[in-house]
Amino acid sequence: MAFAASTFAVEVGKPAPDLTGTDINGKTVHLSDFKGKIVVIESYNSDCPFCNNHYKTGAMPELQKDFATNGVAWLIVNSVNPNHPSHRTHAQAQAEMKDKNITANAWIDDSDGKIGHLYDMQTTPQMFVINKDGTLVYDGAIDDKADPFHNPKTARNYVKEAVNDLLTGKPVEVSQTKSYGCSVKYAE
Amino acid sequence: MRFYRIVFAICFCVAANVCQTQAQTGLPSLGGSLSAHHTSVKLILSADTAKPGDTIWAGVDLKMEPGWHTYWKNSGDAGMPTKIQWQLPSGVTAGEIQWPLPEKLPPAEVTTYGYETETMLLVPLTIETNSNLPMGQVDVKANVSWLECKDVCIPANQEVDAKLNISSETKISANAATIVGWKNKVPTSFTNAFSVRAWWEKFSTNDSRPLVIEFSPQVITVAIVYTNPDFYPKASDQFEIQSATEKINAWDLRKLVKKYSGNWPKEISGVLVVEQGGRRLGFDVTVPIADESPTDETISSTENSPSMLSAPSLWQMLLYAFIGGLILNIMPCVLPVIALKILGFVSEARSEPRRVRNLGFIYALGVLVSFLAMAGIVIAVKDAGHHAGWGMQFGNPIFVVCLTTLVLLVALNLFGVYEISPSGKILNSAGQLASKHGAPGAFFNGFLATILSTSCTAAYLGYAIGFALSHSAPVIVLIFLTVGLGLAAPYVLLSCNPALLKFLPKPGPWMQKFKIAVGFPVLATVIWLFNVAASDYGARVFWLGAFLVVVAFAAWIFGEFVQRGKRKGISLAIVLILLVGDYLFALENKLHWREMISDADATTSLVNSADGINWQPWSPQAVAQARAAGKPVFVDFTATWCVNCNAIVKPALEKDSVIAKLKEMNAVVLLADYTRTPPEMTDEISKYGAGVPMVLIFPKNPDAAPIVLPQPSPLQLPSSYAKTISDALDRAAK
Repeated sequence: MAFAASTFAVEVGKPAPDLTGTDINGKTVHLSDFKGKIVVIESYNSDCPFCNNHYKTGAMPELQKDFATNGVAWLIVNSVNPNHPSHRTHAQAQAEMKDKNITANAWIDDSDGKIGHLYDMQTTPQMFVINKDGTLVYDGAIDDKADPFHNPKTARNYVKEAVNDLLTGKPVEVSQTKSYGCSVKYAE
Repeated sequence: MRFYRIVFAICFCVAANVCQTQAQTGLPSLGGSLSAHHTSVKLILSADTAKPGDTIWAGVDLKMEPGWHTYWKNSGDAGMPTKIQWQLPSGVTAGEIQWPLPEKLPPAEVTTYGYETETMLLVPLTIETNSNLPMGQVDVKANVSWLECKDVCIPANQEVDAKLNISSETKISANAATIVGWKNKVPTSFTNAFSVRAWWEKFSTNDSRPLVIEFSPQVITVAIVYTNPDFYPKASDQFEIQSATEKINAWDLRKLVKKYSGNWPKEISGVLVVEQGGRRLGFDVTVPIADESPTDETISSTENSPSMLSAPSLWQMLLYAFIGGLILNIMPCVLPVIALKILGFVSEARSEPRRVRNLGFIYALGVLVSFLAMAGIVIAVKDAGHHAGWGMQFGNPIFVVCLTTLVLLVALNLFGVYEISPSGKILNSAGQLASKHGAPGAFFNGFLATILSTSCTAAYLGYAIGFALSHSAPVIVLIFLTVGLGLAAPYVLLSCNPALLKFLPKPGPWMQKFKIAVGFPVLATVIWLFNVAASDYGARVFWLGAFLVVVAFAAWIFGEFVQRGKRKGISLAIVLILLVGDYLFALENKLHWREMISDADATTSLVNSADGINWQPWSPQAVAQARAAGKPVFVDFTATWCVNCNAIVKPALEKDSVIAKLKEMNAVVLLADYTRTPPEMTDEISKYGAGVPMVLIFPKNPDAAPIVLPQPSPLQLPSSYAKTISDALDRAAK
């Protein structure tokens, strides 16, 4: 059973599966809403020290802001199940977005894990980059330092590289890495 | 409920705060000031004092609170391996971390490899020979950083230190044994127990590709004793071997490999994990990946035909159990019962065929009921969390005393001291003798045969019992009953075919003499059991002898005056008084039959046997230490009650050729005395077989697997077994 589940629905070089979810403002979000745009998907849980490190150091908000000015869409997917202490109600999430200085087109409440499983998200953070045609071009870690204490600004940021490659019309150099971080807190 | 929630929320906030503070500084905070983490860490060393040139072991002990875990060197789908940053005086260098075997931690969708409760990361520290390290105390320090997770993950770190004296000698520390204990949990190479192959199952156009890993056990006990294989891969940046394992058959695994960059890997590296009676063991494996599955003929021998080694089936083990039971009939420990059975056949030879057949079945029933009872005891022992073994009841002194007394009574009965028949008359005619060997007698013989047989193991039997002990209750019952069927089969067969008994002479007065003659092998069994008791009681065993003499005397009064005499009442009273008095005085007051002498007193007598070999007592630590020192290790698992140990293995070991070879190899020779069936020994024995005799030879190469010597066959001469030992020693010396 578990084995069948790990034959991947997501595959780099193939169309990214369309996702549908509700954001923390109650709005329905589809991946197809962003057709024609580069989309970054972030598997998120700020209680996870690996995620937290990227926000505390300001690296992630900076990247988000930078991308937003270049017309890149950013979707946050939070798959923490409702019984977990790290779960956020919509009100808490709205506050957290301000507090952590997050710039994103949507924070999708995936507490039933549907999108997480569709994209085979295993860790927080885990990053996906989708090009303007809707093809998945990157799946993996945010950067090359699997450490909750490192300075992200000195690390090699694969998402930044992939998006820059796309923006400059080059093929994406690193399209897959092993993601690192905390396990996604799906319901048992 | 609400209260707990609040408490939990507070704890969580504290924990979250801590990691925020650390994250803000961007650097791990030093010192043991963290009170919020859920793992306590300490550093221990295998030596208090070391000299230049030594390599000692450092152990970083991580104790996790319930529910929390830390990670292995490959943390799996999430998590982070624990790191150790050493701060060592110059002249001391640290090697790589040796990681104890981790567990696979759920959930299945994000599987990680880690440790719950406790682990100890082991690191070799080498003190350089030509270092200018001053003599005296030095500080061994390290910063340990780890990620601990339960519902949430918390990164933490702690400074640990320990003191080491540099001197001109080596002194091991009080922690050395703990370190050796953890060292035993680090996966070892086990190359000659398994042969390993791996191949891609198909081509792949995308980034995931199925891989088949095939483990072929090279020794049959390996295939039987170990179950549930799995493979924990080494971490790689280029690819990931998914944690989910699909079993193609007992020893072939399918794993999905996900590639991140570069080419498909050419080899895989990781740990083969197997279970053995509730315990898990790991073996390091590195193997090239073939582009295609092996050619057809090799596949057919491993996959299609049920190869003996790749997957022992229940059917095969039942066959082994049956053959093992059959062979038990000619083992020396069952010999006296054979004598009784021959007597039975002789006396029944001219009876009605139906009666003969019925007695044969009743004998079989006696055997089967006894085996069923034994299976029940084994299951109960297993359920209680202990390791069960064949013949373990001989480790219980009360059992040995009862059995000795019982067998003595059988001998006295054969000598005609007393009768079992109700009339109590001396039995002269065949008919009378037959009536005596009626149904209860046949049942009793079945019981006696079973009890005595458990002190022996036989070819095939070890495999079957080993298989049973590592499986569930129904399998144990099935295998034990099948051994019983094998043990009873020859007699059932003979009873059902009276024609086969035609060769027996006509019954007559000679049978009375024959009966007495049969008593002597039974008496020999009494002496053997007495010798077993001697190792339990030491010098106190004298009182068991005294007890038996009085029992014999009481039996004679019973036969002569109760059964055959006139003053039955008073005679019976005397018998009872004698027995009660004998029990209270000899067994309770003098022998203290419920208490064995201490282990130390018991083993010295065995260890100092004057056979020219410097025997040392066995312990897992003794083996580990000798291997660490690069010496071959020879272990003889033996027991006073084990007939083949004393009749075949011991004389073989005393041969000059074997002694010379052991000395020449500079082998550490360990004696594992299983007479009292200590549990750690049962553990070790069940790793390689089912019972004693068992001889293990650990080769000089500390990574090589031990050689398990084949069990001696019952009719083997010690000189031929000595040859077997010598050949194995030659292999081990390489």
